[in-house]
Amino acid sequence: MSAEVALVSTFANDEDCVRGIEALHGAHAHDFRAFTPFPSEKVIEASQEARGQGHSPVRWFVLLGAITGFLTAVAVTIGTSLEWNLNTGGRPVVSIPPYVPIMFELMILFGGVSGVIGFFLLSRLPAFESETGYRSHFGSDKFGLVVRCQENEAQKFETLLRDAGAEEVQREAA
Amino acid sequence: MAAAIDTEIQPSYVDVDRQVQRALAPGGLKYWLWVLFCAFLTALGGAFWTNQIYNSFDITGYGQPTMWAVYITNFVFWVGIAHSGTLISAILFLFRVRWRTAIFRLAETMTVFAVATAGLFPLIHLGRVWFFYWLVPYPNERSLQPDFRSPLVWDLFAISTYLTISVLFLFTGLIPDIANARDKAVGWRRTFYSILSFGWQGTDRQWRNFATVYLLLAGFATPLVLSVHSVVSWDFAMTQLPGWHSTIFAPYFVAGAIFSGCALVLTLAIPARRLMKIEGLITIWHLDNLSKVVLLTSVIMTYSYATESFMVWYTQDPIEMATFQQRYYGPQGYMFWMMITCNCAIPLLLFIPRVRTNTVWLFIISIFVNIGMWLERFVIFVGSLSTNADPSQWKFYVPRLTEVIITIGSFGWFLMNFSLFAKFLPIVSMTEMKEGISWLKQAVREVYPYRKAA
Repeated sequence: MSAEVALVSTFANDEDCVRGIEALHGAHAHDFRAFTPFPSEKVIEASQEARGQGHSPVRWFVLLGAITGFLTAVAVTIGTSLEWNLNTGGRPVVSIPPYVPIMFELMILFGGVSGVIGFFLLSRLPAFESETGYRSHFGSDKFGLVVRCQENEAQKFETLLRDAGAEEVQREAA
Repeated sequence: MAAAIDTEIQPSYVDVDRQVQRALAPGGLKYWLWVLFCAFLTALGGAFWTNQIYNSFDITGYGQPTMWAVYITNFVFWVGIAHSGTLISAILFLFRVRWRTAIFRLAETMTVFAVATAGLFPLIHLGRVWFFYWLVPYPNERSLQPDFRSPLVWDLFAISTYLTISVLFLFTGLIPDIANARDKAVGWRRTFYSILSFGWQGTDRQWRNFATVYLLLAGFATPLVLSVHSVVSWDFAMTQLPGWHSTIFAPYFVAGAIFSGCALVLTLAIPARRLMKIEGLITIWHLDNLSKVVLLTSVIMTYSYATESFMVWYTQDPIEMATFQQRYYGPQGYMFWMMITCNCAIPLLLFIPRVRTNTVWLFIISIFVNIGMWLERFVIFVGSLSTNADPSQWKFYVPRLTEVIITIGSFGWFLMNFSLFAKFLPIVSMTEMKEGISWLKQAVREVYPYRKAA
């Protein structure tokens, strides 16, 4: 059994990086991580497709948060109005239209906060350890693709990555 | 060929990083003297507020019938200022407007600190500030009825939500940029950025979640910004007071908020780009586009003023007519005409392209708009209260030193926070600038063969 290694490839642009992801996908290598300096839609979509993933589940956090916020506002406004049952000139104790702004605001508040919590959880933030193969220029002007593989397959993947347009491919312990 | 074209596009990714990093370099003596001056104004405002709490509102110009005056004017002014930040960062993001990339961070920062400043004024406005939490509807045993029909309670929810969502939106967008700054920083700054970046490394998994949450926050912020200033306008429009009780208030306030906010973005961006040497990022093109938004909203404001007056004339309600006559020709009528000059006449200069591309002219016009929009709130709130439905109560409010100093202090507080932020955190989004450059490179690559053939 050969040891596991990480191939750290550097690309000049996101299109070459996408080609690298597609090449890895074609070679059935899915234990990879792409690094980009900005949210490149091409890279995000290519990596999602390679891994067979759909859209980010963050949206479910937002939806659940928004529903919770809305229901909380319904409960708070109607509940407290019934609790402090005050007859003001025969007007209905529970009058929905003035409660709509509260329901709207709490829906947005809970949805937004829940979405950000979901973003942190799903992105595994805060991260206290550096990802294997991370280089500081991946946050600046280069695109990175790090693939974990067995040492005996490393040469094959290195060739694939170079053919895709990698400027540089380095090996390091996984 | 593609590589050859890429090199022609300026600024490059590295240029963006370099320019933003340069802006983050430690501030010199002039910078700290400016921050100290702002801190002094803040402290002065704080001292006058303390004095007001100690001596009650007797030392201010407040009194029947004008119990909402400069503090509420300031509150609405600062909330309004905040709105353009959300417009530029969220609404223009949803519409994929490219020129927002260089200025949206500055506008978002302005939003957060403007809301933080606005939030102080309802507290300053309270005689017994330590009971501020009585506005929060929570179960209690003091026989206090939480009245959800009150626009003031809606406002509490709206402003708290707006501040929270604005902070989240700003901070989420900042994380990748802080991580970039972290990788280049040394010493305590590296530790500071490491903590604030939460270990972000820009992996495809992180970006995938980031892109979704950012889009959804923008989607939330867009109706939120419209709702918040509508709710603020209902603080007034829901009452029966002549001059306030009008259905036009919500759209009128939202347009005014965007107008004043975009003007303040110009006021801040013009000196900031020069002092921080980021003219290569925030270019004349950005200022030109922003000034077109100011011009458009100015025209909307002119239309709103005309509609508001027309509605009063058309209804022929004698009390409303009397209030508006006082507004135009009363003892404080000069403020109305100054407002019209600042908000409707002076911005028309922006129709001239040479004015829109001249930073000195833009800066001067933006200052006039800021003054005009502050006066607008004063004219509406204070003027209408001074000339209410009962002429025997009419009394014109004149601010005293306390209100003036606290107002100046609020500008000090805002500018101090903004200046500190701009020095310690990236004021231009590096990630979105790079995204824009990538988009431009692709566009050039796609168009180049056609242009060459032509």
